[in-house]
Amino acid sequence: MIQLSQIKKSYGRQQVLHGIDLTVGKGDVVAILGPSGSGKTTLLRCINYLERPSEGDITIDGFTVHCKRLTKSDIHQLRLKSAMVFQQYNLFRHKTALENVMEGLVVVHKLPKEQARLRAVEMLEKVGLGDKLDAYPSQLSGGQQQRVGIARALALSPKVILLDEPTSSLDPELVGEVLSVIRKIAKEGITMIIVTHEMSFAQDVASHVVFMDNGTIVEQGKPREIFQSPKEERTKQFLKRFAPESAYSI
Amino acid sequence: MGQHGFEIAYVFEYFYRLLPALKVTLLIVGSSIGIGTIVGLLVALPQLYRIPVLRRLSQLYVSFFRGTPILIQLFLFYYGVPEVLKLFYVDLTRTPALFFVILTYSLHSGAYIAEVIRGAVSAVDRGQVEAAYAVGMNGFQAFSRIVLPQALSISIPVYGNVVIGNLKDTSLAFTLGILDITGKAQSMGTLSQRFIEVYISLAALYFIISFALQKLFERLERRLLRHEPAAAGLTKEPLVKRSFLRREAASSKWRRKEAQL
Repeated sequence: MIQLSQIKKSYGRQQVLHGIDLTVGKGDVVAILGPSGSGKTTLLRCINYLERPSEGDITIDGFTVHCKRLTKSDIHQLRLKSAMVFQQYNLFRHKTALENVMEGLVVVHKLPKEQARLRAVEMLEKVGLGDKLDAYPSQLSGGQQQRVGIARALALSPKVILLDEPTSSLDPELVGEVLSVIRKIAKEGITMIIVTHEMSFAQDVASHVVFMDNGTIVEQGKPREIFQSPKEERTKQFLKRFAPESAYSI
Repeated sequence: MGQHGFEIAYVFEYFYRLLPALKVTLLIVGSSIGIGTIVGLLVALPQLYRIPVLRRLSQLYVSFFRGTPILIQLFLFYYGVPEVLKLFYVDLTRTPALFFVILTYSLHSGAYIAEVIRGAVSAVDRGQVEAAYAVGMNGFQAFSRIVLPQALSISIPVYGNVVIGNLKDTSLAFTLGILDITGKAQSMGTLSQRFIEVYISLAALYFIISFALQKLFERLERRLLRHEPAAAGLTKEPLVKRSFLRREAASSKWRRKEAQL
């Protein structure tokens, strides 16, 4: 379904991704974990070419892009196959929740307005915002804005949804509502790749966990394997910080 | 000054007699802002897209028009352009002075408008452009549907300042013999020797138009920024200081409020 092979990325002399290989199956929910600066967000952004890999091949749903030689239309094709949810929501601030979701459908997929509207309403209802259709982003809480962001991504019926730390800029109290929406769509069998710091969520929702450090994949596997019996020393060290709360004596 | 005593009645009379000349002033303002906006957009684009050589040229353009007095620019264009074109056998001696006035004010306000556009476009956050790309838009769609509408509403207050500044600058066009309201006031003053009354009514006329323009732009801004109630001053909160950053300020204010919840 999605295959990344030998993805490399450098900024000037500094190499941030050292040849990443990753395969994601249809319906998989992949959680990418790792310390800050490990390149996980960069990797995610390479998948829809918001970040330009220096080398490597990206295949989504049978469509392959070779990063060494590609055209504008390759990038466009690739982006049509994915959708993204951003850490800072990145909603279009001059458009209402409904218009935010409709925008891509109308402008990119050339859907008639009425049809786009129906689909947008359906998606906003799915994320529990059926009563906020006409609200502007500035009138919504962070959690609500992020749910609009998720509805915007879902509406495009992408092959994969890329989520870049979707809860990192939310207040702790608002994290729950966003996670429960993500959990709900994961159950529907939509392929997702999530960069996250929410360990328990990753353990609970992901079907596959990838641990990255220093621009390489250190270890990957089923959540149970990674969280309960990590093989690599670096993974153990990282996960120790997120040990169950009972380990602390308060 | 004049040999007459001050009489308020003349202020009203001259005010009334200045009105017909208003159409010249408004013609200069209207056409130079119109042309200037197109020029400004053209000049701003190379800087926004970092086009190598054009970018330097447009910077040079902007610094020339911002760095020299408009009066000098008027003279340079009025006397200089025909001389230069004479070398190419183009005769401009019969071209009305008004043409040079509009040309100068267009290029002048174009330089300021370029700066306004540049600032406003860079004030729209980069994340929204990425989001537009991520849903599959191309560069043009992202610019015209996401960036431009927001840049326009951000730029309204500063754009309004440029228009009002331009209106007041047109008072120098009389130096080329243009009979705009200032030119008309000059000649009425010379004829009647009632300079004080004439200039009071002239000042009042400028003030009324400026004030009307200011109110107009405020309304426009409020309309265009209805999606950012805090920035548009629709709430009871004290107005954030006017700047390109006000919407940033507004959104961070919102975040702070959120954090308190």
